[in-house]
Amino acid sequence: MQGPLATKPGRTKIDWIGYVFIAFFAVPFLLFNIMPILFGVYVSFTEWSIVGEPSWVGLDNYREALRDEWLRTAFINVFFYALIIVPGVVILGLAFALFVNQGWPLSALARTLLFTPNVVSATVIGLVWVWVLDTQFGVLNHYLGYLGVPPVPWLTSVHWALFGVSIASIWWDMGLAFVLFLAALQDVPKDLYEAAEIDGASRLRQMWSVTLPYIRPTISMVVTLQIISTMRIFSQVYVMTNGGPSGASLSVIKHIYDTAVVRNILGYASAVSVLLFLAILVVTLVQRTLLRETARG
Amino acid sequence: MSTDGLTRRNVVAGAAALAAGTVFKPWVARAAATEIVHWSWLAASDGEVWQKMIDAFNAANKDMQIRMEVVPEEQYPTKVLGAAVTGKAPDFGWGTAGQRAKMAKDGVVVPLDDLAKKAGLDVADFDAFAIKSARYPKYNNGLFMVPMDLMSLQPEVNLDHVKEAGLDPEKFPTDGATLIDWAKAMTKRDGDTVKRSGIMMTGSGVQPTVTWGIVAAQMGFQRASDDLKTACVNPQAGIAAMHWVLDLFDKHKVSTRDVTDRYKAFGTGQGSIFWTGPWTLNGYVGQKLNFRTYLFPKIGDKQLTYFEEGGLELYVQKDKGRYEATMQAVKWLSDNSFLWTTVGRGASPRKSILSRPDYKTAGHPWSVRGAFVDGMAFATQGEIPVQSGPDFTIYSGGNFLAKTLEGVWAGQSKPEDAMARIQEQWQKGLDAG
Repeated sequence: MQGPLATKPGRTKIDWIGYVFIAFFAVPFLLFNIMPILFGVYVSFTEWSIVGEPSWVGLDNYREALRDEWLRTAFINVFFYALIIVPGVVILGLAFALFVNQGWPLSALARTLLFTPNVVSATVIGLVWVWVLDTQFGVLNHYLGYLGVPPVPWLTSVHWALFGVSIASIWWDMGLAFVLFLAALQDVPKDLYEAAEIDGASRLRQMWSVTLPYIRPTISMVVTLQIISTMRIFSQVYVMTNGGPSGASLSVIKHIYDTAVVRNILGYASAVSVLLFLAILVVTLVQRTLLRETARG
Repeated sequence: MSTDGLTRRNVVAGAAALAAGTVFKPWVARAAATEIVHWSWLAASDGEVWQKMIDAFNAANKDMQIRMEVVPEEQYPTKVLGAAVTGKAPDFGWGTAGQRAKMAKDGVVVPLDDLAKKAGLDVADFDAFAIKSARYPKYNNGLFMVPMDLMSLQPEVNLDHVKEAGLDPEKFPTDGATLIDWAKAMTKRDGDTVKRSGIMMTGSGVQPTVTWGIVAAQMGFQRASDDLKTACVNPQAGIAAMHWVLDLFDKHKVSTRDVTDRYKAFGTGQGSIFWTGPWTLNGYVGQKLNFRTYLFPKIGDKQLTYFEEGGLELYVQKDKGRYEATMQAVKWLSDNSFLWTTVGRGASPRKSILSRPDYKTAGHPWSVRGAFVDGMAFATQGEIPVQSGPDFTIYSGGNFLAKTLEGVWAGQSKPEDAMARIQEQWQKGLDAG
């Protein structure tokens, strides 16, 4: 058909309206996400404290990072945070999702209650848990006292501070994992369970051979999201322990915050940010590969 | 739907009027009153009093109005720097003496000597020490802040605990040994566990850091030499002070590391002696805590304590004409700072205010406020006015010093090793200027 809207032979018609639609997202994303990231990478090779021009120092900031004891402590802490928080969130989130998925009485209420912490800001969660975990008059130690457990210095001891922050983080993060697991569980076809039952599979066997394989992509996603979230842990640390005592609960983002916002050393802080980005990238790729391999296996 | 009256002409006219209003409104407002933008990080009960000061200014000055914006304290310097480089810095804001060397070097804070003279601010009416503390020797010894208050750290003591221990509240210790005796008498223990601290302490953060800083200075330690060239003068005294703090926990057992919030803990009777600043008065008086404030005892060779000087500083502007108007506003706030230095916080740096007959009777009772004013006589431990000043500050819970000392309090590093690290880092800071 020949008409005003027809393309000329050999030319591809571009539907500009599509670009207009994505521009609403793409332009702010480029301006406020991609540009600052690229600028941050540039700043990581400079010495800069906002005022004046950044001065190029090459790899000095990265060399400094390798010598920085606090950064090493922060990365080790983040590793331990991940070791506690990720399994905690995944196991508890899945357990509660399995419980609510049974549709027992009050499951709707349980669903709301379990998700509620996730809609509260991490700062508020931190403040609440400072009270709960207080050594001398905290609620948790009060009840542990009934069991004969002596007061645990959850936030004031170098041995316990990381656990204290982790408990609050699990409580906060679990809501999202719970909702994702619940959605995945509700997608598992009922006829699979019926077939398993006919084959004489027990509830545990059904869970192992039907439920878990079916929701494996969701487990993979939750683990990935949780690892990324844990590696970026900040608000709880900032509010509950300020990274102390003696760096026992210091996280990488808290270290970046102290360096950039409190001490105005933006070049070095950017270099640490780039290192954290690379660490998250590597961990995520390894984790995704492993889970994919497991799925194939 | 009726469209009566909604013609294209009406719409165009309305839009034009709206646009004109948008364009000319700020101009009209400016013609009516000059607006001065003020940033403050005062957010506790002192912030409420400061708001009253601003309101009083706005009520008294119809041709000039202050618009105050509150910025979190920790982010304050970075936000000021960010605003300054984009040409949008506030006209003036809150500062702490000795902490703005870098801003002075970068030209972000404005030297005030000439502006103060032009505005008619009576610098001679200020305490000489207060003015000296607001100057930066490395930057032409310029005055970069108009002092508004002087806050010293002094011990607040729970009088119920004093009575319970059979101690005489009129004879608060003036030396270190008696201080420990008092602390022991008021400490409550369950076996070896301290349940109520005779001396309020935390296992990390501000309290042990500032205690170390004061005791070390009393024992003869200097963070920087007078010429700001040598770091850690008399390091042995600094190490001895670390042991003094550790002994509170481990030898005398008059303090516990298990306090998360020292302010709350003292307010709820979990500590008996708590050295802190006058910013706590509003809260504790408000909750009717039975306490009294005394002068910091002489633990080392000389009696001295920490002080913090708050004040107002002017930030760089594209329109230099704004400085004079801003300085007028700052002068007014300083001249009328009676409320601020009786109810707000700290002692007044103005001789004319200190000599007023009602200075001792206004605001909180002298029994809780007096030591903070009288104690300024020996409050000499302030900030080190160099670019890396924040690394030197002893009133910090998260700076380089506090983090390094936390290892000592937690038993993870030796005092000698910590002192070596402090010396190395501080020397670098002094060398950088």
